[in-house]
Parts: sequence; C-alpha cells; structure tokens
Amino acid sequence: MNLVIDGPTRERLDSVRAIGESQIRPVGIEADRLGRPVPPDHPFFEMLVKVGLGRTRWDGKAEADRAAASSSSGASTPKLGASRGQLAVAEETSYWDRGVAVAFPGPGLGDPPISSMGTPDQKERFLGRFLNPDRPMWGSFAMTEPGAGSDVAGIQTTAHKDGDSWILHGAKSFAAHASRAEWIVVWATVDRSLGRDGHRAFVVERGTPGLGDFVVERKMGLKAYESTSFTLSDCRVPSANLLGGEDYYARKAGFKGAMKSFNATRPLVAAMAVGIGRAALDSAVVFARENDLLGQVRVRDRLERTRRRLRAARLLCWRAAWLADYGRPNILEASMSKAFAPSVAFEAASLGMELLGEVGGRGDHLIEKLFRDVKAMDIVEGTGQIQRVVMARQLVRLPRD
Amino acid sequence: MIDFDLGDELELLRSTAQQFAADHLRPALRDHESARQISQPAHAAFAEIGFAALECPESLGGSALGSLARCLMMEELAAADPGAALALDRLGAALYPIAEMGGDEALERFARPVLDTPDTRAALVWCGEGARAQTLRSGDRISGFVPWVPSDRVDLLLLLDERGCSIVHENIRCESLRGGGLRAAGAAELHLDDAPVAAHLEGEAAAGRALARARLYVTALLVGVMRESAEFSRQYALDRVAFGRPIAHHQGLAFLIADMATAVDAARVLLWEAAVRRDDAQANGLATHEQAAEAAATAFAEAAEQSLFVTPNGVQILGGHGFMQDYPVEKMMREARSLSLLLGGVDLAREHAARDLVVHEGPVALTLEAPP
Repeated sequence: MNLVIDGPTRERLDSVRAIGESQIRPVGIEADRLGRPVPPDHPFFEMLVKVGLGRTRWDGKAEADRAAASSSSGASTPKLGASRGQLAVAEETSYWDRGVAVAFPGPGLGDPPISSMGTPDQKERFLGRFLNPDRPMWGSFAMTEPGAGSDVAGIQTTAHKDGDSWILHGAKSFAAHASRAEWIVVWATVDRSLGRDGHRAFVVERGTPGLGDFVVERKMGLKAYESTSFTLSDCRVPSANLLGGEDYYARKAGFKGAMKSFNATRPLVAAMAVGIGRAALDSAVVFARENDLLGQVRVRDRLERTRRRLRAARLLCWRAAWLADYGRPNILEASMSKAFAPSVAFEAASLGMELLGEVGGRGDHLIEKLFRDVKAMDIVEGTGQIQRVVMARQLVRLPRD
Repeated sequence: MIDFDLGDELELLRSTAQQFAADHLRPALRDHESARQISQPAHAAFAEIGFAALECPESLGGSALGSLARCLMMEELAAADPGAALALDRLGAALYPIAEMGGDEALERFARPVLDTPDTRAALVWCGEGARAQTLRSGDRISGFVPWVPSDRVDLLLLLDERGCSIVHENIRCESLRGGGLRAAGAAELHLDDAPVAAHLEGEAAAGRALARARLYVTALLVGVMRESAEFSRQYALDRVAFGRPIAHHQGLAFLIADMATAVDAARVLLWEAAVRRDDAQANGLATHEQAAEAAATAFAEAAEQSLFVTPNGVQILGGHGFMQDYPVEKMMREARSLSLLLGGVDLAREHAARDLVVHEGPVALTLEAPP
C-alpha cells in the first residue's frame, strides 16, 4: 500500500498551482462578479491552448496502431495510473476554481462517449481537431431535459430515420458549453416505449439547421462556465453522425454507453468537490488564525472534523480511481465517493461561512462564493440520492422498478 | 503512486485472521461474553499462529511486522468479537510504551513475562489530559484509581501520559466490574496503594508515538466491530420481509445501508492511511512521526464517530430483535461505545488531531506528496 502522491503527479499539480492563484481563481471571481460565463475569446483560454491544454484524451492514430499490433484480442490497454493522475489534477484545478475548470476548452463530457462508442471515422472527424488545437474549442454533451434529470431513461427528445439522415426533435437543458461548442453529443429516443433500449447518441454539429434557441442559464454559482438549454426543431443530422453506427445499438449497448461514461467520472466529480472543500477549509483556517479563533475548542473541533472528512473523501476517490486504473469493478466505490464527498465539501464551505460570521453575509468573500459553487456537486453526475440507489443495487440488490 | 494493494504477505495475514475468527470466536460469541474469558483452544491457536508477537522484534520471538499488519489483523478479530480480541492479545497495546520508550531491554524485562506466561494480562491506561484515572506518583511509589480497564486481572500496568510512562507490576488491586461492553475481556477497577513503580520511562516524543500506535490498535477494533454491524444488519434486511418485500428494498433502509457502508469505508481508509504513515515514519522517513501521530488521532476520531452512527443503526435495522440478545448487534453497539472511551477518548483525539492546524500556516495538507 502506498498513500503518497508520486513525483510526476506532484509536478502536474505544481503546474496547476502555478496558474491557480494568478489566473484560475481571479478569472473565476471575475465571472462570478460579472454574473456571466467566461467568454470564448478570453485571453485565459488562448493561454491554456498555447500550453497544450484543451485536448482530447483520445490518442488518435496511436490507438489504431495498437489495435493493429494486438491482432488477437484487439483490446486496448488502459493507461496505467491515468484515472489517478486525472483525479489529482481535477481536484487541484477545482481548488482554484471549479467553474473555470469546467470552462476549460476541450471536448468535455463529449470526449468519453465518442472515444468509447464512436467509429474510427467519427473519432477522427470529431476528436481529431482536439488532438492539437490551434485555438480554444469546446465539445458538449446533452442528456438532461426539462423533464428528465436523474431519470435519464425518461428522455423525450425523439429521433426518426429519414433516408440517409435522422430527424431530431426536442429540448435539452443545462448542457455545458452548448452555445459555443463545435458539436454536441445529443441523446434521443427512437421509441419511448423501449426505454433505455430506444436511446441513440448523435453528434450534432454547430450550425446544423434546427439546432437553436440557446439560453445560457442564470445560476447560483459556478458562473464561469455556461450551462445552456437549447432546442432541436426537426433538426436533420446525417446518419454518419449516429454515434457508433447502427450496429452498435443492435448490440443493445445504447444506454450502457452513457452510463459507462458517467461511472468513469463519478470519482472525478467527487474529487472536484474535495478541491472546493479544501479551498474553503484553507480560507477558513486563515480567517480563524487572523481573527484569533483557533484558541476556541469548538472552532478547532469543527475545523479538524472538516479536514478529516475531506481526507476520507479524498481517499475514497483515490480508491475508486485506483480500481478503475486496474480495470477492476468500481461501481460501489465510485458511487460511494460521489455520495460522500459533496456533502463533506458543503460542510466545509458552510463552516467557513459560520466562522466568517457577518463577514460572510457581505457577499464578497471567497468562502461565500465557494458556498454557492459547492452545492452543484451533490447534483451533477448523479445526485447524492441516485448514488445511494446505485450503491443499494450493489449492496442489497435494490430492484430497478 | 497511490495504491491500495495490500500485497501477498498482508493478504495472507488477513485471511489467516479471518479464518481464526471464524473458527474460534464467532461461534462462541455469547459464551465468551458470559464466561468473561476465552476458551483454552482459542488461546492455544492464537499463540500457535504467532498473532501475539506480530509487532515484537525477532529477539522476542516476534515477526517484526508493522502497524498496517496489526490493524488488518485486529480488524478481522474485532469483526468477530473485539472483547475476545483484547482477551487473546494479552500484551496488546501495552507493548507500545515499552517498545517506544524502553527499548529491547525493557521489552525483555516487562513484555516477555506477559507473552510467555499464560493467563497474564497487561493494561495500558491513559493518565494525561482529560483522563478519568487518578494517579499520583511520588518517587518510586504510585497511588491511584482507574475506573475501568477491560480485563479481570492486570499483571503489568502501564500508566501513560504526555511526558512518559510508569510501569507497575506489583500491588495492583483489581475489583471486578460487570462491564458495559467488551465483557469477554473482563472488566475491573484498579486500585494502587503506594505500589512500587518498576520503571518510569520519560520522553515526550516517544510517549506521543506510543499513544499513536495504541490509537491505531483501538481504531482497528472499532473498524472491525462497525463493519460487522453493517454487514449483519445488511444481511438481515435482505431476509426480513415487511410490506411485501425485503426491508432492504424500502428506500428509507436502502439509503441507510448505503450510508453505513460508506461510514465503515471512510473510517477504514483513514485507519489505513494512519497505519501506513506510521510504518513510513518508522521505516523510510516518507512521513514524520508527528504526521503519523496526527493521522492516528484523526483515524481514531473518525472511527469513533462513524461507529456511533453505524452500530446504533445496526440495532435499528433489526428493530425489536436488535434490542434482544439473541442477535449480536446490541453487543456491537455497546462495544463500539466502550472502545472509543479508551486512551483519553474521542475529545482528546480530536484535540491531538487538530494540533497542527493551530501551529502550521499555509495550505492544509490532506495527503503527503513526494518531495521534489
């Protein structure tokens, strides 16, 4: 057992820290104050692309070469340690500003479904431009609808085949980056009565006629990135944009494709919550020290408990990611980290507010912003309640009906 | 890189402890509790496997294994019966002050007789800040009163505080108590009337290390007992049918069962981290002893809090049956509460865990990072 963050990962964290205080946090505070997402032409994004960020995790031709090399199984070998490294960076970035971290250019949540479900041609067409981008670009992912949040099986957006294309019709909510995205991975149903088996994923490209009515939502926190609602009005998408091609769904893997990508990201989102909580804790300790509160047992106790829970949350995230790195089942552990970390992080921010006292009421302290930001973490990527349902399926075979 | 793999040696140790518990402890749960002692075959098997001297140096016939090994073993034993674990491990956490402050000579003088003489028992009692024990040492004599130790007899008594440790092995008067939990280990109040102090070991740093290791020991017991409570009640909730389905399938209980599993794992990962820190501090300097001590106090506080969430809910899930002694969950609740009273209790652990928050400036570290 080894519970020390290794040198290479520490170096990656150092590079995040290098821009964290000087850029990530100020950009986030600016967006929060102005009440709007960081605009796509913000120099910060240009800088990120220049230093090599904003790329896909798909490794392009290397994957095809590997598949050719291992002719027998064809299974791709996962990058050892990839999940753990990603986790550490996600937590550190969120420490500086979770909203800005989400706003980073790149294929975003569209990356996993395209790289896991997409045909070679689709990966090249949609992820190829993210291999070595020369300007900030975004991808987007749209599952949630006005009437379907956690109950993703209940999506109402329809897809009808018409010749060599598909017609999409419906409305999507809260999709990050949607109005600025190169393309949006849109989930729709070919037959509502089929439930999950009727789900299909389409890559809808920017400017496609029928894609429109973008509304950038107003949020309590995490204002640095756009959460956008939009509609698909008889939106015609070429068959070549059906993710994975028709064969993929003949194997009835449609819904699982989406859930697989969620499952991989749960510990990641939990780690982001830890990052926010840690920022709140650090700020609270500084305030407590400057205001001579650390002499009070009651204050010390609560700070200690907050650090302890954050530490446990972080270890639970690491454990889920460690399992993922070795290709071992982690459904229970992933959901456990996601069920645990957000509430712990919320407690950290709430305690911070309490120590601030009336200073917290002014609305201009970092902790006050974190307090608003952190609540989202118990909602996105499966609410705390959904995580408990997932865990209960594992622990007591909770029926799906 | 961060890795939770135990490796073959520790996995083997864990499964050995698991098997021992299944063979000797689990079937005799209530017998051991009412008899306030453990069957001779269990003692013999315990000695045979070499559990008692797991952390002792090889000169003492031990395996010289570290804290992580000890914690894995104690968790498995406590999952069956933490009282029995204390009764079997007759030297127990008393090893630590002797080893940390006295070295090999003291181990030979004080630890070996307990290890080598069947039926003897050692006890470690916290006498520092917040202690309920009252002792007064004057020169090489000590008088005082200890309200409870989980043992019916004490042949070697270690009175530990922040500055050092007094060792007493004569004139210890034990008056038997009924005991709240951990009755398989016995229960007594101790009286010292001008008892001779066999040795007084000094050293703040060493006393801190001893307390930290003792906390790991008790934390492992807490993790074991709460794990079993969560597991037993989970199984029960699958078998018990109400309103037409297993009670586990009512969301109110399904969510509770999920939260109990999370609580157990949260406590366990902090225990592991603290044990690894201690082993790192000892072996390779990856952690300092101060970091290890803070981690041990943190783990103790977490295990105490989480066990007081898990074990009462274990009783709750069984409802009326949970309250009856036909089922083991009431015993687990009593034992979790009793365990977390030891070593100065939870408040002192919180205080020690928070110490560095007060002292160190700069960002709060959650995990160690490799030096550049």
